[in-house]
Order: sequence, then structure tokens, then C-alpha cells
Amino acid sequence: MLTAMSLEVRKARRLRVVLVCAVMVAAVVALSCMTLMSDSAREGFGDPAAQPWESLFMSHVMIAAMTSPLLVAVLASRQVDIEHQGQGWMLSQVAGFPPGLLCRAKVAVLGPLLAVAVAVQTTLIVTAGLVAGITVPLPLGTWILYAVGLLLVDLALLCLHVLLAARVENQLVGMGVGLLGAFCGVFSLLMPPALARVLPWGYYAIVSPMGMSDGGFVPITPGYGWLAAFLVLVAVLFGTVSHRFDRTEA
Amino acid sequence: MDDIITTHHLTKTYGSRTVVDDLDLRVPRGCVYGFLGPNGSGKSTTMKMLLSLARPSRGEITVFGQPMNRDTRPRLLREIGSLIEAPPGYAHLTGRENMAIVQRMLGLSDQQVSRAVATVRLQEHMGKLVRAYSLGMKQRLGIAMALARDPRLLILDEPTNGLDPAGIEEIRELLVSLAENGITVMVSSHLLDEIDRMASVLGILGQGRLIFQGTRSELFARSTPDLIVDTPEPERALALGIPAVREGGGVRLSGLDDEDTAALVRRLVGGDVPVHGVRRVQQSLEEVFMDLTGREGLL
Repeated sequence: MLTAMSLEVRKARRLRVVLVCAVMVAAVVALSCMTLMSDSAREGFGDPAAQPWESLFMSHVMIAAMTSPLLVAVLASRQVDIEHQGQGWMLSQVAGFPPGLLCRAKVAVLGPLLAVAVAVQTTLIVTAGLVAGITVPLPLGTWILYAVGLLLVDLALLCLHVLLAARVENQLVGMGVGLLGAFCGVFSLLMPPALARVLPWGYYAIVSPMGMSDGGFVPITPGYGWLAAFLVLVAVLFGTVSHRFDRTEA
Repeated sequence: MDDIITTHHLTKTYGSRTVVDDLDLRVPRGCVYGFLGPNGSGKSTTMKMLLSLARPSRGEITVFGQPMNRDTRPRLLREIGSLIEAPPGYAHLTGRENMAIVQRMLGLSDQQVSRAVATVRLQEHMGKLVRAYSLGMKQRLGIAMALARDPRLLILDEPTNGLDPAGIEEIRELLVSLAENGITVMVSSHLLDEIDRMASVLGILGQGRLIFQGTRSELFARSTPDLIVDTPEPERALALGIPAVREGGGVRLSGLDDEDTAALVRRLVGGDVPVHGVRRVQQSLEEVFMDLTGREGLL
């Protein structure tokens, strides 16, 4: 597995996956921080009742739900498409690296990249809030909890996208699914939780420790049980399908 | 001469469709084995089964005297270089980076990689991105990848596909020189001319079945030479309804044995056709091949 991972790192050269991540992180930070720009928002930076951190947080949740499915789809597509284009599946298979192992190695290599992206974007948004002048105490736990949840959902979707990209040679399909996921991700914030739970992208809403009500932003308990079930389901699916890929005939 | 590859009743079916049917191959050590057949005749599927990339529905495969199965596969594949369907190569990487990936995959030394690259004469282009390579260069890179492990056996599926005549000649010379150096080369093609000039043993596949296996001279021995009847009045001969075509100063007939020939001559003389001579001409290899494969649209 380690050799397969090191091969994936070599293959990632010139695929600009780091650049894609950086651009997406910059977009998420810029869009999330737009709420800091308005005069009305700035007036409430020192007023806990104005909920400045909560407002910034929910903005981030919405933008992350919209952009994360796209980022995951692009990363998976770029790292997998090279195998289709370069006869890499067969080249690797005759060298003792079956397709399922390649898929697992791709997830293992792209996962840390997503982790860095989530950590950087969260840090930058919080820093932007502090720099902009929010003086209300920072609910750090909320941000960390959400960042962890966001990363877990990203990783689960990465597994699914890698399988899809490996199975369907036309990468437009994966990108289309990513686009659909972006819409679903945003709308899942407005959906009843029961409906959000049946969509993979609905978990971008499930992991949010904050919600909206008529009176403003209110803390909610994320559906960790559902999230755990979803992660287990994806892990089992990924393990089963990727091992089946190992036995696939060329 | 011992055999590097043998198959026994090798069969592959997909649902009700039999793609490879009861194949008994014997690839002798140190030869270039030309694996011929029309497109769709089962060559690639056979090669994939030899590499364990596809599972046989029935039959056995023996490589280097050992059965190819799940346990022996990793060990055997270490000594088999292959190029199946299209040349491998990550287009966004340079030739050197591609070779480095293969080196890491197989745990090869720098020397092995350099030697393989030198063998295919690609040293000057190793710094270029593979997407900038011509098809011939991609084929050579694919062969270098197959050669880098110092294989005892090379299995190459249509390695000259899409190449210009110079590229084909270059690959042909390379494969012959590899065989001279003791590497057994099994190479497939649907183009007879390509194979004829490099292979010492031929295997001809038609609709999934092995219809001939042996040397070029054995192949010719299987064919019945055409018959030329010299006559100043070929139209008159054709008017008798004989299955002939006009050729030069006479008519040409295929597939007639000695008794058929005697009957033909009696019929021509009986029909007042002036027969100046009757002679046999050897079919070209292409014609023999076409006859064997049932003229399935070969080039």
C-alpha cells in the first residue's frame, strides 16, 4: 500500500491538485467572509446579540456545502482519469498493483490534501473574523467540531467519487454528479433532517452544530449517530467495491 | 526446442458467446511467435488470459513450465513484459517520470531502466512529456516499460498498430533483435505482412479457434497451389461455368487437387477450349492466410 501511495504522489505531479485545492480554499474563504463586509454586520462585531461569529459560521457552512462536492469530484476525477487515459490500470495490474489497490491509494493520498484544505480554510475564515474586528468570544469548539465533520463527509464522498471515476471512464459523469452534489449540499441546509440523511451530500448539513430559526442562529446537536452510520456504510461499500475491482478482468 | 507457453483447451466465454475456443498454443523458447487473426478473432483475450488479466472459462495455461494461477501469477509476471491493446504512459508526465513509476512499481535498478530505454532508442526524448510523443515513440516507451524488468517473455498485442512503415520496420527490427538475445516474443497482429517478416513461428486464430500453428513453410505446405490454365480463349473456358478468374493469357483456379485438375482438363478439352498449358503457382502467404481465416476482412 505504501508503494502504491508513493506512486500516486508521483503521478499527481503536474495534475495541479494542490492548485485546485488552493483556488477552492480561496473561493470558500472569500465567499464566506463576504458577510464581514457589510456595515450592518460590522456594527455588531462587539455585540453578542448580533451573533457575528454565528453569522460567519453559517455563511461558511453554506459555502462549504456548495463547494466541497465540486472539489472532491475534481480531485477524484483528475487522479483517476490518468489511469484511463494512460492505460495505467493494466500497466499497474501486470506489475502487481490491482485497480482496487490503486483506488485505495488514491483516496489515501488525496485525503490528507483535503484535510489540509479544510484546516486552512477554517483557520483563514476565523482569522479573517478576528482581523475584521469581531470582539465577541470565539466559539472555537463549534468551528473545530464542524471542521472535523466536514472533513469526514469530504472523505466519504471522495471514496464514492474515486469509485465512480474508476468505473465510468467519462469523467463528465463524475463532474456532473459533483455539480448535483453542490446543489444538494446547499439545499440540504433547508431540508428536513430526515430527507438530508438519505442524500450523501445532506451530511454537509447533518454535521453542522448550528442551525437557523426565526430568532437567529441556534446551536443544534449534529446527527453524529447518523454521520457514523453513513461513514460506516461508505467504508463498507468502498472496501467491498474496491476489492471487487481487484478481481475485475481487464 | 522447449515451450515457454503452452495452453491446453483454453476457452473463454462471455455469457453465451465463446471468444476463445479450445486453444492449444505452443510458443517455443527464443522465437518470435506471430499471433495472427482478424480483428475480433480473440487474440487480445488470449493474451490477457496468458497474463492472468482475464480468467479462462476452461483450460490450463503453463508459462515457463509452471501453471499460471493465482499463487504463481506474481512470480511469473515478474518475468513477463507486456503491452496490451494500447501503449501505456501517463501523458502529463515525461518519459523519464513514467519510467521512474515503472521502476518503483517493480523495484528495478537504474541500470535496468537505462538499458531498456537505450534498447528502444528513446534516450533523447525522455525529458519530453508523453503527450508530445508520436505514436511510434509511445509504442517504444511501452516496449521499454515491458523490457525494463529484463523479461524472459514479451507479450505484445499489436505493437505496430497505427505506425507508419518506418515505425513498423523499427519495431520489427527491435523484436527480432530481442529474440536473437534470447527473449521469447509473442506478438499479435491482424496484418500478415508485418508478422511474416519477423516471426519464425505462426499461430493463426479465426473466430476464436486456432486454425494453424507452425512455421511459415508448414503453412505453405497446408495450402493447395493455384492452377493456371494457359489458353488463347479464356472467355470460352469461363463460358463452361468453371470457377475460374481470368489471368493474363488464361484463367486461374484455386483449391483444385490432382483429380480435380484432371477432370478440369477433360472438361476444357471436351468443350473445345484450346489448352496450351496447365501449371501450378504457389499462393502468396496472404492468400493462404485469407483462405485459412475464411476471408474475414483481413488487410
